Amino acid sequence: MLKEFRTLLPFVRKYRRMYIFGIFWLLVTSGGQLLIPQFIRIAIDMIAEGAVDLSSVAELMGWLLLTAVLIAAGRFGWRYYIHGASRRIEKELRDKLFNHLLSLSGSFYNRTRIGDLMARATNDMNAIRMASGMALVALTDGLLMSAAILTIIFIQNPALALIVILPLPLITFLVLFLGKLVGQLFRSVQEGFSTLSEQAQESLAGIRVIKSFVKEDYFANRFRDANDEYQTRNMRLIRIWGMFFPLVTFLSGLTSLLLLRFGGVAVVVGEISAGDFVQTLSYLEMMIWPMLGMGFTVNLLQRGGASLSRVNQILQEEPDITSPINGIRTPIHGSIEIRNLSYQYSDTEDEALRNIDLTVPAGSILGILGRTGSGKSTLIKLLPRLIDPPRGTIFLDGRDIHDYDLSWLRLQFAIVAQDNFLFSQTIRDNIGFGMSVSDDERILHVADVSTISRDIENFPAGWDTQVGERGITLSGGQKQRVSISRALATDHGILIFDDALSAVDTETEERILDQLLKERAGKTSIIISHRVSTLKTADHIAVIEHGRIVQHGTHTELLEDEDGFYAEIAALQRLESAGDLKS
Amino acid sequence: MMEEEKVISGFNPALLRRLLQFVAPHKWKAIIAVAALLVATAGELGIPIVIQRTVDEYLVRSYVRISEAGAESADLDSLRLDDADIRIDGQIYVNTSRLVDVTGLERERLTEAGILSEEQFFVVGLNDARVQGIVTRYDELFTGSADYASIRSSDLSRIEPDDRRSLRAPDIDGITRMALFFLIVLVAVLSLSFTQVYLLALTGQGIMKDMRLTLFKHVTHQSLDYLNRNPVGKMVTRVTNDVETINELFQNVLSNLIRDMARMIGVVIALFILSRRLGTVTLLTLPPVVVAFAFFRVRAREAFRNVRVWVSRVNTFLNEHLSGMGVVQMFVTERRAAERFEQDNEALMKANLGEMYVMATFRPLVDLLSNVSIAVIIYFGASFFSRGLVSLGIVIAYINYVRLFYQPVMSISEQFTILQSAMAGGERVFQILDEKDEIADTGTGTLPQPVRGEVVFDNVVFAYKPGEIVIRNLSFRIAAGETVAVVGYTGAGKTTIANLLTRMWDIQEGSIRIDGTDIRSVPLAQLRTTVQPIQQDVFLFNETVSENIRLGADFSDERIRDVSRIVQAEKFITQLPEGFDSVLNEGATNISTGQRQLLSFARVLAHDPRIIIMDEATANIDTETEQLIQKAMLKLMEGRTSLVIAHRLSTIRHADRILVLSHGQLVEQGTHDELISHKGLYYNLYRLQYQDEPTSG
Repeated sequence: MLKEFRTLLPFVRKYRRMYIFGIFWLLVTSGGQLLIPQFIRIAIDMIAEGAVDLSSVAELMGWLLLTAVLIAAGRFGWRYYIHGASRRIEKELRDKLFNHLLSLSGSFYNRTRIGDLMARATNDMNAIRMASGMALVALTDGLLMSAAILTIIFIQNPALALIVILPLPLITFLVLFLGKLVGQLFRSVQEGFSTLSEQAQESLAGIRVIKSFVKEDYFANRFRDANDEYQTRNMRLIRIWGMFFPLVTFLSGLTSLLLLRFGGVAVVVGEISAGDFVQTLSYLEMMIWPMLGMGFTVNLLQRGGASLSRVNQILQEEPDITSPINGIRTPIHGSIEIRNLSYQYSDTEDEALRNIDLTVPAGSILGILGRTGSGKSTLIKLLPRLIDPPRGTIFLDGRDIHDYDLSWLRLQFAIVAQDNFLFSQTIRDNIGFGMSVSDDERILHVADVSTISRDIENFPAGWDTQVGERGITLSGGQKQRVSISRALATDHGILIFDDALSAVDTETEERILDQLLKERAGKTSIIISHRVSTLKTADHIAVIEHGRIVQHGTHTELLEDEDGFYAEIAALQRLESAGDLKS
Repeated sequence: MMEEEKVISGFNPALLRRLLQFVAPHKWKAIIAVAALLVATAGELGIPIVIQRTVDEYLVRSYVRISEAGAESADLDSLRLDDADIRIDGQIYVNTSRLVDVTGLERERLTEAGILSEEQFFVVGLNDARVQGIVTRYDELFTGSADYASIRSSDLSRIEPDDRRSLRAPDIDGITRMALFFLIVLVAVLSLSFTQVYLLALTGQGIMKDMRLTLFKHVTHQSLDYLNRNPVGKMVTRVTNDVETINELFQNVLSNLIRDMARMIGVVIALFILSRRLGTVTLLTLPPVVVAFAFFRVRAREAFRNVRVWVSRVNTFLNEHLSGMGVVQMFVTERRAAERFEQDNEALMKANLGEMYVMATFRPLVDLLSNVSIAVIIYFGASFFSRGLVSLGIVIAYINYVRLFYQPVMSISEQFTILQSAMAGGERVFQILDEKDEIADTGTGTLPQPVRGEVVFDNVVFAYKPGEIVIRNLSFRIAAGETVAVVGYTGAGKTTIANLLTRMWDIQEGSIRIDGTDIRSVPLAQLRTTVQPIQQDVFLFNETVSENIRLGADFSDERIRDVSRIVQAEKFITQLPEGFDSVLNEGATNISTGQRQLLSFARVLAHDPRIIIMDEATANIDTETEQLIQKAMLKLMEGRTSLVIAHRLSTIRHADRILVLSHGQLVEQGTHDELISHKGLYYNLYRLQYQDEPTSG
C-alpha cells in the first residue's frame, strides 16, 4: 500500500514548508492544551487549601487565558497550513489526472465508464486529501498528546494512572475493529444504493414497455424490494455504527469513573491533592480524541491508499495514440491517399473497413455514400488518428499520417461529426470552440453559412443562449448547424462532413451546400451523406457497403450504371421529393 | 455552465409540515427515540453532579465548629441546627457545605464574634474499635466526646496513611457507592443512546422508504409526454439522492439538534441549580459565543454554498469533457480544456479553502471562549468559595459543565447547514410530486367481451406539440383478425399510430374505437392488456430471460417454454449458460439484436393480447436470425388483429391490406398488387425501398 503513496511525494515535497509550519502550530496547540489542566490544578489546590489569595488566582487565570489565546492561534495555524497543503495537493492531483485523461484515446474511453472516472476524480480525491492532511494531524496529535498525558499522569501517581487509562486503548481498538466492519457494511449499503438507482434508472428507461404491458405495479414492487433491501442494509450498518459514539462516551465515562473511585480514595488518604484529581480528570478527557484519532489514522491511510491506487491506475495508463518525436509540422496542400486500408475494432469480430483504396487530390471534393453501419464514420475517425490506422495505409501530402506531429495532423481537419456533441456553454462559445483566437466576425460569418444565425436572432438571449447539457435546448437541426459552424470556424485545411445535414430540410440543405461550396473553393473536402442531392457536387464519389468500396466515380458516371446502388438511391430520392410534392 | 441547482434553502415551515406527514406512520418510534434521547442527555448532564457530590460529601468532607453558647445567642435559623447535629465538648460541628446558606456578611460577623470557627475540622464516629485506637494513639490531635472525635483538617496529614484510610472508611464506602451509581448512569446512557440512534434510524429509513416508493409510483404513472420531457437521470436523482438528504435530516440532523439544544439548556439549568451566584456569573460569559455563532453561521452557509456551486461546476465540466473527449481531441483543444479545468479547479480549491478558513477561525474561537468561561468560573469560584458561597465540588462541576456547554456549539452550526440542504432536497422532491401529467384513467366502461379486435380510427387529429400536427384527419378501419401493414417515409406518422392506439398520448380530435367502444371510455389497464406493441428498439431488463418474458406475471414455466418455442427463441435461450435463468446484462448486450427481437415476441405472445402493433426493426440482423424472425412474426400474428409498421417487403407481402401514410394522412390503401398497379406513392416506395431486398419470406 505504501508504494501507492509515492505519487504524492512530489506534492508533499513542494508543500513541505506548509507541512513544517503546520506541524509547528500543531505542537504549539498540543503543548498549550497540556498546560491548561495544570493551571486548573494549581487553582483548585489553592481553593481546596482554603485561605484563597484572589490576586494570585487572577494572575494564574491570566496565564491560562494567554495560553488559551496561543492555543487558538495554533489551532488556526495548523488548519491553515495542513488543510491548505492537502487542498492544494488535491487540486494539483486532479489537474494532473485531467491532463492525463486528455491524452488518452477513444479506445480507453470505450472501455471505461465515465461514472467510474468521475468517482476517481471526486470521491477518491477526497479520500486522498484526508490521507494527506487529517491523517497526519490525527497521527501527530494522537502520538504526542497521549505520550505527554501518559507521562504526566504516570509521574503523578503510577498506580492510579495504570488503572484509569485501562479503557483508553479500547477506544483505539474499537475504531480499528468497528472501522473494518463498518467499512464492509458501508460498502454493502453503497451497493444497495446502486441497485436502487439501477432499478429506478431501468424502470424509467423502460417505462414504455412497463406502460404497454400495464406492469406499473409489478415494477413498483420490484422497486419496493430493492428499497426494503436498502433499508435492511442501512439498519445493519446502523446497528454497528450506531453503537460507536455511545460506546466511546461509555468508555470515556468509564475512565472518569475509575478516576472517581481510585483517584477519590487517593485524595482521601492524601496520596494526591484535590487539584491533582481535577487535573487528571481534564487530562483523561483530552485523551479521548487522540485515541479516536489514532484509530481513524489507520482507516484514513487505508482508504487513501486504496483511492490512490485507483488514481494511479489511470495515471499509469499509457496513451495508445501518441505523437512521433519531431513529427512533421509543415503546411500541407491537402491531398489524401488511402492504400489498402483495413480496420477492425478490438472488441468486434468483423472488420469495419476492408481493403479501402482512395485518392483525394488536394482541393477536390470526395463524396461518400453509405448506409448506417457501413463503416464510413470509422474511415473519418482514422484520418485524424482519433483511432489509429496501421502504418502505411493513410498518407497526407504523400507522407504517412503517423509521421506528422499529432496535434498538427488533427489541426488539418475540420470535422462535422455525426453525433454533434455540444458543450453546455453559449452558442457563441460552441461555435468558437476550435478557434485558437476568438473572432466574432468569423463566428458571425460561419453562422451565416450554416444558416444557424437566423435561429440565433430569434433566441431571447441571442448569441449568449446557453445550449444546455449536450445542447439539449436546441433541436436536432440546430445542433447540426451549430456543429457545422464550429467546424468551419476553425478554417482548417480539410473539411469532413459526416452526414451532417440529415436533420435539416432539403431546402436548407441546398442553401447550406451552396454557401459551403463558395466558402471551400480550392480546399479539400470529404462529404459523407446518404442523400444523393448532397453528394452530386462532389468531384468523386465512393459508395461504401459493409466496409468495402462497392462503386466509385463521378455523379454522372455513377448514375450511368443503372443497376448500381448509387443510381437506385438517386432514383428513390428523386421520387421521394416527388412524393413530397404530391402530398 | 449548467444551471446550478438550489443547494441550500431557507427555513420553510410549509415544507416541514409536508415532511411531517411522512413522519406520521412512524410517530411512536420517533417519540420513543426523542424520549430516550432526552433521558440519555439528562443522564450525561447528571455525571458532573455525581462527581461534585462525591467530591463535596466524601473527598473533601469538612466541618466548621459553632459554639453551642454562641448558637443560642446569635440568630442561626439559616443553618437549621437540630439535635441530630454532632456536638463535642460544647461545640456543634456542621458540614461546611451547609454554610452556603449563610450570607457572607453574617458569616464574618459570626467569625468575629468567635461563634463560628475559621478553621475546618474533620469528625469521626467512635463506634469502631480501630478508629478508637487511632484516636487514642493520636490523642493530642483529637478533641473527643463519647461518640465522636474531631480533628483539624490541616492535621489530617500528620496521620499515617493506613490509619487515615481507616479513619475515612465511611468516605471510601461512599465513594464506592457513588462509583457504582456512576456505572449505572453510564450503562443507562449507553443503552438509551443506542436505542435512540436505532429508533431514529428506523424512523428515518422508514420515512425515506415510503417517500421513495411514493415518488417512484408517482413518476411511473406520469404520461410518456412528461417522461420524455424530463431526463431519466434527473428523476433518478430525485428518487435516490434527494430523498437521501431528507433521510439525513431525520436520522442525524434532528437528533443532533435536539441533543445539542437539550444539552445546552440542561447545562444552564444545572448551573443555576448548583449555585445561583456562580451560575449568573457563568451565564454572563456565554453571550459572546452566541454572537460568534450567529456571525459564523451566515459565513459558513455562504462558504458551503460557494463550495457546492464549484463542486457542481467542476463535476459538470469533467463529466462533459470526458463524454465529449472525442470532440476535444478532434479540435485539438486539449490545452484550452486543461486551462479551463485548472481555472475551475482553482476556484473550487479557493472555495474549499474559504470554507476551511471560516471553520479554522470559528472552532478555535469557540474553544478560546470556553477557556475564558473556565477562567472566569475559577476566579469567581475561588472568590465565592473563600466566602463559603460554593463548595469545591461545585467549582469542579462548573468546569465540567462549561465544557459540555461549548461542545454542541460547533455541531449545531454544522447541523444547520445540513438542515438547509435537506430542505432544498425536500423542495425538489415535492416539486416532482406536485407535477401531475397523467393520462386520465377515467374510463369506467368495458370493451364488449370477448374482444374481437376491430380497430377504427375516425378523423383522428394529433400533435405532440401544439401547432405541429402529426396526424391529420386520419380514418381507417381494421377488421378483427386482419393483418394490416402501414408504410410511408420517415416522419409520416407511422409510429404515432401505435402511441395513440395504446393511449400513450391522447388524441386531440376524432375518436379511436375498439369493437365500437371509444378507447378513452375503458380503463387504461384493460386497453393496454388488449393492445400491445412491439417496439423497434427492444427494451430488456437486467433480469433473467424468463423474467423478461413474464414481466412479473404468473405464467407457468411450460408457458414460457411454449411461447419461446413458438417464436423460435427456445433454441438460443437453451444455449445460454443458464438457459431461461440466464441474466441479461444492462442493454442485453449478451444476446444479439435479432435474439432481443425474438424475446420481445415471446413476451407479447405470453401476454396474449387481442391486438398487436409491431414496429418492425430496421436494424441489420444476420440472415439466419432474420429468417427466424419472419417465421416468428407469422406465428405471432396468427388469429390476432395486427398492425405492422413495416420495413420489410416480406412483411408487407403477408399483410392482408396495406395503408400508405404520408404526412399524417392516409394516401392509399389496398393489397400489394392493387397498389402496384395504381402506380402511386406505394409503387415508388416499393421500387426504391424494398425491391432490392432478398425475399426471404
